[in-house]
Amino acid sequence: MSAGAPGRPGAPPAKHTPAPSPPAARTPAPSPPAARTPAPLPRSPRARGTAPAFALAILLALATAACTAVPAACASTPATAAVTRVNGVPCLGAGDLARLLDGSLWWRADLRKLVLRAQGHRLTFTVDAPVMLVDDRTARLDGPVCTLGGEVQVPVSVLAVLPRDSSAVRLVLEAGGTRVRATPAAGWVGAPRVALAGELTRVTFTTAHPEDARVGGRVRTHFRVWFPGAPAAAGGDTLPGGALVRSCGRLAGGDGVTWEFSLDPAATSFRRSVSPEGVVVEFSRTPLEGFEPLAAEGPGPRTLRVIVLDPGHGGADAGTSVPGAVEKDLALRLARVLAPELERRTGARVLLTRDADRAVSQPDRAETANRARADLVLSLHFDGAPLTRAHGATAWCPPLEASEDAAAFSSSGITLTPWRDVAVRHAMASRALADIVTRVLAVRGLGPARVRERLPVSLLGVNAPGIALECATLTAPDDLARVGAPEGLRTLASAIADGVQEWARHE
Amino acid sequence: MSRLVRIALALALAALLGVLAWRAAGRHGLVRTTGTPAADSAMAGLRPVALWFADPGGDSLVVEVRDLPEQEGLHARLAQLVDALARGPERRGLAVLPTGTGLVHAFLDDRGLLTLDLSRPFTQGFHGGSREEDLVVGSLVRTLRANVPEAKRVLFTCAGAPVGSLGGHLPLDRPIELHEAF
Repeated sequence: MSAGAPGRPGAPPAKHTPAPSPPAARTPAPSPPAARTPAPLPRSPRARGTAPAFALAILLALATAACTAVPAACASTPATAAVTRVNGVPCLGAGDLARLLDGSLWWRADLRKLVLRAQGHRLTFTVDAPVMLVDDRTARLDGPVCTLGGEVQVPVSVLAVLPRDSSAVRLVLEAGGTRVRATPAAGWVGAPRVALAGELTRVTFTTAHPEDARVGGRVRTHFRVWFPGAPAAAGGDTLPGGALVRSCGRLAGGDGVTWEFSLDPAATSFRRSVSPEGVVVEFSRTPLEGFEPLAAEGPGPRTLRVIVLDPGHGGADAGTSVPGAVEKDLALRLARVLAPELERRTGARVLLTRDADRAVSQPDRAETANRARADLVLSLHFDGAPLTRAHGATAWCPPLEASEDAAAFSSSGITLTPWRDVAVRHAMASRALADIVTRVLAVRGLGPARVRERLPVSLLGVNAPGIALECATLTAPDDLARVGAPEGLRTLASAIADGVQEWARHE
Repeated sequence: MSRLVRIALALALAALLGVLAWRAAGRHGLVRTTGTPAADSAMAGLRPVALWFADPGGDSLVVEVRDLPEQEGLHARLAQLVDALARGPERRGLAVLPTGTGLVHAFLDDRGLLTLDLSRPFTQGFHGGSREEDLVVGSLVRTLRANVPEAKRVLFTCAGAPVGSLGGHLPLDRPIELHEAF
């Protein structure tokens, strides 16, 4: 393809028959940059006066390598590409193939070879050859690899020989054969269809892996079903009258797809089964054989009159600092966004342990919470991990087991807890809050989020349920970009408020 | 490229290689002339120790079992462990102990409380968040648990002074049970 000369010498020029597809949907096929940058090789290195040309060739080769090393995934990538017919053979542009596979292209102009590295594999194409290499294995194609308009075209039969690793993206030819679509390895998950079947309410999901579907929550208000894969549609079906499903919606973020249902209080049991259509979940008003009971409702709402928000650090103690973000400032800004959100949603009075950039000792923070008789304390932090590649959120909560100090004081069945460790008295409620908040963060795509049971400094002397929440890791570029985005803190506050609301419902 | 230029380049390259070879030989020669340390009773054997370092992902600790020279006395053993943790792993993992951290003093009481007094870089060299605080303390606790069976609890101090917390997130003002699930 050097100098844009496609095909064999003497071969008939390639016929270009574009597949019928709407022009707007047509994806411009980027060609390997090397194809446009011929690297002249010196004919005789011994010849005098060729040194500048030789140096220029080296520079050009280096520049070519640098250009071709750019991952194709850097381009904005709709997950489809148009199929083009070349000499009657349906073909896919090599640039499109790399983009769909999230790979990188390397062009060897001297050998007329194109190497595509994607998902741990190496695909090698040679122009004019009807075969290719998949790693070290030879595979036959329906026609020869060719060039068109300066771009290498690969027969779409390549889709059949691509490696099918468990985590690899799948490329499929759409019906009509005009486009190639990338699908996640776990496949698509369709929107649920709700129908009445006698006394039962039947919900059907189409999925590629029905055996992997899991029921995540069995409470009527939050009945959840999880699937591996990606959502194929945004909304749910129309709910028929008399159904035991009152509403349904897809939870955003997280791995896989989670559908959440709110069920009629009359629903008592459910059954999950697999049918040729996919996964079927049936709800019944009466307990039936083979059906599982829905979970009992929780003990009822928790009292939530006063919430104390504790923005970490302050004053000379900046906490984690990275270019563009300082933990003490972010924590305070988050608290200012979260406070009205919590007041609006819960009706509770929300107090801040500091409302300016000033140092506050831990005893003073604890006193603020204790004097206000806080029902909940949220200590807001942002993590930093300069030594590791850590990212995501972490919730620290008091341990469920009493400390050795407390045990040392115990006698006659009475456990004396040092006031420093008083938060341990609320360990159960704190752990529940940590679990809920981290789950919501993960579901909203703000994770990974984990829970650690260790009494944090910010809960020393605090006589209330609470957690220290490291909302994101500022040293992780993705986390930093997320919290630094215009709506970043608002999204975070909304997720935390969701968690607090769910914890307060105590269902 | 003219012949003269190529000859000059070849000579320069040969000279460079010669200098590098001479320096490498000199370094080895210095080691040889100094000789290995004289064998004494403390260095007579090796003992396997389990050292805990951070996983590069920052989510967990990974263990590395290494043979270190046998040391006599608690202080020497602990200093060796702290030094090995601060130097970092030889295989997989990352050192999380702040660079330059060393043992200043160690005391083990008759109830198994080990007071580990570390040098100033332990607190001054720490710049992480709560997760890395957890990894630092976890690597110390697990290493002590595996290699110092006579210790039941550990209290960290720094240059003789109490340590409230490394980065302000996790308290270190009380002794930590070595059997705690770090």
